[in-house]
Amino acid sequence: MMVLDPRLEAEGEAMAMAPPLRALEGITIGFIDNAKIGTADFYDHVERILRSRFGVREFIRRRKPDSSRPAPPEMLGELSAADAVLSAIGD
Amino acid sequence: MSEPLQSAVYDVVDAYEANELFQRNGWTDGLPVVPPTEDLVRRFLEAAGLEAAAVVGVEPVRRRRITAEKVAIAAVMAGCRPEYMPVVTALVRAVCAPEYNLHGCTASTGGSAPFVVVNGPVRTAIGMNATHNALANGSRANATIGRSLRLLIINVLGGVPGRLDRSTLGHPGKFTFCVAEDEEDSPWPPLAAERGVPPGESAVTVLAAESPHQIMNEWTRDPREILETYAAAIRANMLTYSIWAGNYALVMAKQQRDTIAGAGWSKGDVRECVFERARVKRGDWRTVGKGAIAGRKDEGTVHTALRSPDDLLLVAAGGPAGGFGVVVPPWYGAKSVAVTETIRGG
Repeated sequence: MMVLDPRLEAEGEAMAMAPPLRALEGITIGFIDNAKIGTADFYDHVERILRSRFGVREFIRRRKPDSSRPAPPEMLGELSAADAVLSAIGD
Repeated sequence: MSEPLQSAVYDVVDAYEANELFQRNGWTDGLPVVPPTEDLVRRFLEAAGLEAAAVVGVEPVRRRRITAEKVAIAAVMAGCRPEYMPVVTALVRAVCAPEYNLHGCTASTGGSAPFVVVNGPVRTAIGMNATHNALANGSRANATIGRSLRLLIINVLGGVPGRLDRSTLGHPGKFTFCVAEDEEDSPWPPLAAERGVPPGESAVTVLAAESPHQIMNEWTRDPREILETYAAAIRANMLTYSIWAGNYALVMAKQQRDTIAGAGWSKGDVRECVFERARVKRGDWRTVGKGAIAGRKDEGTVHTALRSPDDLLLVAAGGPAGGFGVVVPPWYGAKSVAVTETIRGG
């Protein structure tokens, strides 16, 4: 019996992970805030750790206008100036 | 000669082994499936009058183009008959409407399920159930049409629990959550007619919904008192789950429908009454253990369950006896709204 694969393959080029950072010192990190109630406090905490213990120089923090929809392209454009971007949820 | 199908094929010895393959790969909801063979898939495509490569809908966020071939595979797997295909394809078009926010309600920790209401001649043509046990088992069509959409979400959109589907709990409606409206025994116009579908046409309406909550009031003939019971259930949902306004569905069984309509009330009157009564103050959060958040903004602010009376979807379904009804709450206010799609063919 021959059965068909129910999955739909993703179209376009496969995405790959960016190369790992060599060091955190002196770099810029972006934060995508998912607009939930706990996210800002969570990122404040993460920012303090990254700044004091790892020497991260600068942060670009952006809050999504809507927690249940993707970040708008212009926001992703601003975040692309960072060396790395974190996306976290703060439900 | 029809075009070749695009899906990869796997050779298995029998239906049992086909199920083992699908279970092992996470291609099902945990229940057994009908093995999707090319012959069956082609019969389903033919019933829908669709080419395999036809795009039925495009999920707007991840831009997944859902082909008729994949819809037919899901419908076969779910246990549909070929003649259900036009309902399933209409359902796919409905959930791909941007305002349904399929990606958001699939990925959300809130754990919603598509609540499907079918209207029009197709209900009786394919043997859907609208009476006893209307929201549960009782009809192959109800069960398998709703399940088709779940299998598509899993396999075509990647809505796998713990991966794209981040539901904390989910609810049993995620297996299937599909009802037909009891148009023949309702004193009111069908839901689809209220939403602009011409008489004689069939349609699906879909809402990203939380679990249904059953209410009972069979001790009054006053419409306001009956509806106060529904409003109380909605207020409880607003306080204990989500305060945000959006589409609520009420599924009302015959006994209450006849009482309310017998008093001269239309569906519009019901909607107005529920709109007025289903509202809470932000400060009421304090009564349910949510004092920590209540004081962050003005506690006197009034929140309505519905943005307007038209947000209420009133559906006639259920067995003839008992003063029962059900409140179906929205996933997350108006972040996803109900969508109605006409069923083509079938």
